[in-house]
Amino acid sequence: MALLEVSHLKKIYTTRLGGAKIQALKDVSFSVEAGEYVAIMGESGSGKTTLLNILAALDKPTVGEVLLEGRSIVALKEREISSFRRDNLGFVFQDFNLLDNFSVQDNIFLPLVLAGKSYEEMVKRITPLAHRLGIADILNKYPYEISGGQKQRTAAARALITAPRLLLADEPTGALDSRASEELLSLFADINREGQTILMVTHSIAAASHAGRVLFIKDGQVFHQLYRASLGREEMYQRISDTLTTIATGSGRRQA
Amino acid sequence: MRRFFYFRLALQNIRNNKKTYIPYILTVIGTVLMYYSFQCMADNPGIQDLRGGTVVAMIMGLGTFVIALFAVIFLFYTNSFLIKQRKKEFALFNILGMEKRHLGRILLWETLIVAAVGIAVGFGGGVLLTKLMYLFLLRLMDFPVQLGFYISFSALKSAVILFGLIFLFTWLNALRQIHLASPVQLLQQQKAGEQEPKTKLLMAILGVLCLGTGYYISITTESPITALTLFFAAVILVIIGTYLLFTAGSIAWLKFLRGRKRYYYKTRHFISVSGMLYRMKQNAVGLANICILSTMVLVMLSTTVALYAGSENMIHSRYPRELMVYANMVTESQADTYEEAVNQYLAENGLSAQNVISYREMYGAMVREGSNLRGPVGAQDMMVSAEAHFIRIDDFRQMTAGTLPEALKADQVFLLYRGNDIPGDTLGVSGLTFQIAGRMTFDEAGIDPAALTDSYNVADVYVILAADTGVLSQIETAVDQEIGVEDSIFYNCDPALDQLRYVYGFDLGDEAQVKAVQEQMSLLLTETGIPQGGIENRYDNTASYYEMNGGLLFLGVFLALLFVMAAVLIMYYKQISEGYDDRERYQIMQKVGLSRQEVRASIRSQVLSVFYLPLITAVIHVAFAFPIIVRLIALFNLNDVGLFLMTTVITVLVFAVLYAMVYAMTAKVYYRIVSE
Ligand SMILES: Nc1ncnc2c1ncn2[C@@H]1O[C@H](COP(=O)(O)OP(=O)(O)O)[C@@H](O)[C@H]1O
Ligand SMILES: [Mg+2]
Repeated sequence: MALLEVSHLKKIYTTRLGGAKIQALKDVSFSVEAGEYVAIMGESGSGKTTLLNILAALDKPTVGEVLLEGRSIVALKEREISSFRRDNLGFVFQDFNLLDNFSVQDNIFLPLVLAGKSYEEMVKRITPLAHRLGIADILNKYPYEISGGQKQRTAAARALITAPRLLLADEPTGALDSRASEELLSLFADINREGQTILMVTHSIAAASHAGRVLFIKDGQVFHQLYRASLGREEMYQRISDTLTTIATGSGRRQA
Repeated sequence: MRRFFYFRLALQNIRNNKKTYIPYILTVIGTVLMYYSFQCMADNPGIQDLRGGTVVAMIMGLGTFVIALFAVIFLFYTNSFLIKQRKKEFALFNILGMEKRHLGRILLWETLIVAAVGIAVGFGGGVLLTKLMYLFLLRLMDFPVQLGFYISFSALKSAVILFGLIFLFTWLNALRQIHLASPVQLLQQQKAGEQEPKTKLLMAILGVLCLGTGYYISITTESPITALTLFFAAVILVIIGTYLLFTAGSIAWLKFLRGRKRYYYKTRHFISVSGMLYRMKQNAVGLANICILSTMVLVMLSTTVALYAGSENMIHSRYPRELMVYANMVTESQADTYEEAVNQYLAENGLSAQNVISYREMYGAMVREGSNLRGPVGAQDMMVSAEAHFIRIDDFRQMTAGTLPEALKADQVFLLYRGNDIPGDTLGVSGLTFQIAGRMTFDEAGIDPAALTDSYNVADVYVILAADTGVLSQIETAVDQEIGVEDSIFYNCDPALDQLRYVYGFDLGDEAQVKAVQEQMSLLLTETGIPQGGIENRYDNTASYYEMNGGLLFLGVFLALLFVMAAVLIMYYKQISEGYDDRERYQIMQKVGLSRQEVRASIRSQVLSVFYLPLITAVIHVAFAFPIIVRLIALFNLNDVGLFLMTTVITVLVFAVLYAMVYAMTAKVYYRIVSE
C-alpha cells in the first residue's frame, strides 16, 4: 500500500464577489510510496498550493479522495483534523511562518506543546535535531534576529520534530538566496536518504532536481511525471528543463 | 471638481475604516455633548437664579474644565492611534503616486467631516441632554420642575472653539506623523518595535514603592485635615505606581511564568504568555489607562452617591436639633431665665421642647501631647488639634446616660472622650495637673457627638468635667498665660464671672412651627440680656445641603459616564488592533495543528487575564483608598461609614458587571477578526 494515495481530486473555488467559479484542480491522481522524495512543479496559478492545502487537510476538495496510510484525510471530522495534522504531517512554507513572539526553540516546540508532550521529552527531541540542522547555537534567538536560511531551517526543525509520516513543503526555497537554498535542499536530500518521505511544491528546477520524482501540473491535472531512476543531478536538471519547455510551448499532448 | 474629489476620497476612507472610525466619531459626539451640556448648565441663567444655583453653576464650571482637559488628552490619544493603524494605507496612497500634500488634504477633509458630524450631533444631543440634566438636577436638589428648552449660543460657541482647536491639532499631528516617514518606513511601521521587552527591575521596585507609599498614606492617615492635604499626593503616587507596575511588573511576572517550564509549555499558557509578553510594552500603558479610569469612576461614583445619600446624616450632625442656640458669655442665671421663658412660650402655644440639649462650657481647640493639653501656637498646631470642652460636672449630668461621680475634688476631673484616650491617671493642662477620677467614651456615656462638637470631625474630642467654675477659671488663666491673652482660645467665656459658652437646643416635632418659635426665641435672647447669641434652624439650610450634594452627585455621575466611555473605547481599540496583529499568528498556529477550540480557549485565557487585570487592580486601589476617603467625607460632616461602604460595594459590583459585558463584546470582536 502506498503511503499517500490521491485520486481524482477536483477543487472549484467560488469567489465571494459575484459567485464566479474558478476551477483550481480538475482531476488529479497520483500516489507516493514511503521514503520517496517527490517534487511537484507547475506554472503559477496551476493549482500547486491548492493541492498541498488539500493534502495538509487545510482545505477540502470538491470531489476526490486522499488516503494517508489508507486513512481518508477528506473524511476527517473538524475536531480530528488538528491532531491528525500535528501527528502525521510536517510543513515548511515559503514565507517560513515562524512566530515572532517565540524564540527559535519555542517555535520548534510549538507542535509538541500542542500535542501535550512533556518538557523533558521536547528537550530530548530537539537536541539531536538542532545539531543536525545546524541551529543549535541560535535556539535562544528570536526569528527577527536570524537569517532567512536559518529561519527556514528552524521551520524545517519544527516540521520534523514530530517525526511526521509526510513532510510537505510549499516553495521552501522561494524566499532564500541561492546559497541558503542549496543548503536547505541538500538537507532535504539527506533526511530523505534517512527515510523521511517528502512532498515538495516548487518553481525552481534546481530544487526539483534533488527529488526522486517530479510531477508536472498543468491546468489542474497531472500533465507529466519524471522519474530520477539512476540519473545524476545534472541530467535530471536537463530533463526537467526540457519538459518545462515542452509544456510551455503548448504541445497539448498528455503523457503518461 | 478636484475639491470634490478629495472630499469623496475622505468620505470613502472613513467608510473603509468604519470599524475604528465609528467609535471615534461616537466619542467625539459624546465629548462634545458633555462639554456643551456642562457649559450650558454653568451659564444657564435659569440655574443661577435657583436658590443655591451659584454653587451648582460653580460645580458645573469645574466639570466643564475637567471635560475640556479630558477631551484634549483623549481625542488626541485616539486620533494618533487611528493614524498609526492607517499608516499602511497612507504608504499605499503614497506609492500609488499621491503626494504628501495630497494626503494632507484628504486628512483635512476627513478631520472636517468628523468634526462637523461630531459637533453637530453632539450639539443636538446636548440640547436634549441639558433638558434632561436640568430636570434630573431639579429633582436631585428637591426643586419643583419647570418646562422649556434652553439653547446656549455662548456654550455652543465655546464648544466650537475648543473642539475646532483640538481637531486642528490632531490634524497637524497626523501631518507630522506622515511627513516624518518614507513610504517604506510607513509600511514597516506597524511591524516595528515588536521586540521582546526587557525586564526593568528598578522600575518594578519603584512602582511597588510608589504604590505602597500611596496605600500607606491612605491607611495610616488619621486626621481628616491631614487626609485632605495628603490625598492628592497619595492619588498621584498610586497613578505613577500603577503605570510603573503595569509596565515593569507585568513583564517581570510574565517572564517568571515563562521560566517555569512545566507551566509554560502547556498549550494555553504557551500561547497566551508569549502573546502577552510580545506586546506588553504597548499593552501595559493601555491597561494602566483602563485601570486608572476605572478607579476614578469607582471612587467618584461611590463617594458622590454616599454624600448624596448621606445628606440627612450630614444635616443631623451639623444641626443636631431642629432649633439650636449658641451664645457666648452666658451666666447660669441667664441660661435658667432664658430656658424658663422659652418653655413658657412653648406651653402657651401648645408646644413642648423634646430631646433637649443644654449645657454651658469653656471650649477651645488645643494640642494634645501624651497626657497633656496645651494651647496651640502657630500654624502647624492647627493640624493636630484636639477639641477640649471644659464643663462643670453638674451642668452636664442631664446630657449623659452614664453614671457620673456625685462630686469631684478641685484637683480631679472626669473624662469623656471620642477618638484617642488620654494615657495615664493624670491630665495636664498648660502646667496644671489633675487626677482623672474616671473616664468613659462617648458611646459608653450615650452621648450624641453631634450635640457636642461644633467641630468638623477633624479631631479627638475631650469633655473634661470639673468640680466647679473656679477650676475652669484656673484652667483659663493657665492656658492664657501660656499662649498670651490676646491669642486666647477662650475668648467666648469668662469663667471668673461665671460667663460661659452656652449651647441650647431641642426638637419641636412640628416643622411648620419652627420658624415662628425661632423668631420668638430670638426676641427672648435680647430680653434675657444675652447679646452674643444666635439661633439656627435646621430647615433653613436643608436645601443647601441637597444643592451641594445633588450637584456633586450629578457631576460624579456624568464624569463617570465620560470616563466609562473612554475606558470602553480604549478596550475596544486595544482588541481591534491586537486582533489584526494576532490574526496571522493564529493562522500560522492553526497550520501547525492548533484546533479551533484551542484557539478559542487560548484567546479566552489571554483576554481574561489581561482584561480583568485592570478591574482587579482598580478594586484593590478602591479598597485601599477607602480609609482616606472615609476621613475626607468626614470633612463634609458625613460620618456614616456603613453607608459609604454600601455605596462602594454596590458601585463596584455594578461596574464589574458592566465591565464584564464590555469585555464580552470586545472579545467577540477580537475573535471575529482573528478567525476571519
Ligand atoms: N481561496 C481562493 N478563492 C478563489 N480562487 C482561488 C483561491 N485560491 C486559489 N485560487 C485560484 O485557484 C487557482 C490555483 O491557485 P494556486 O493553487 O494558488 O496556484 P499555485 O500555487 O500553483 O500558484 C488560481 O487561479 C487561483 O487564482
Ligand atoms: Mg502557490
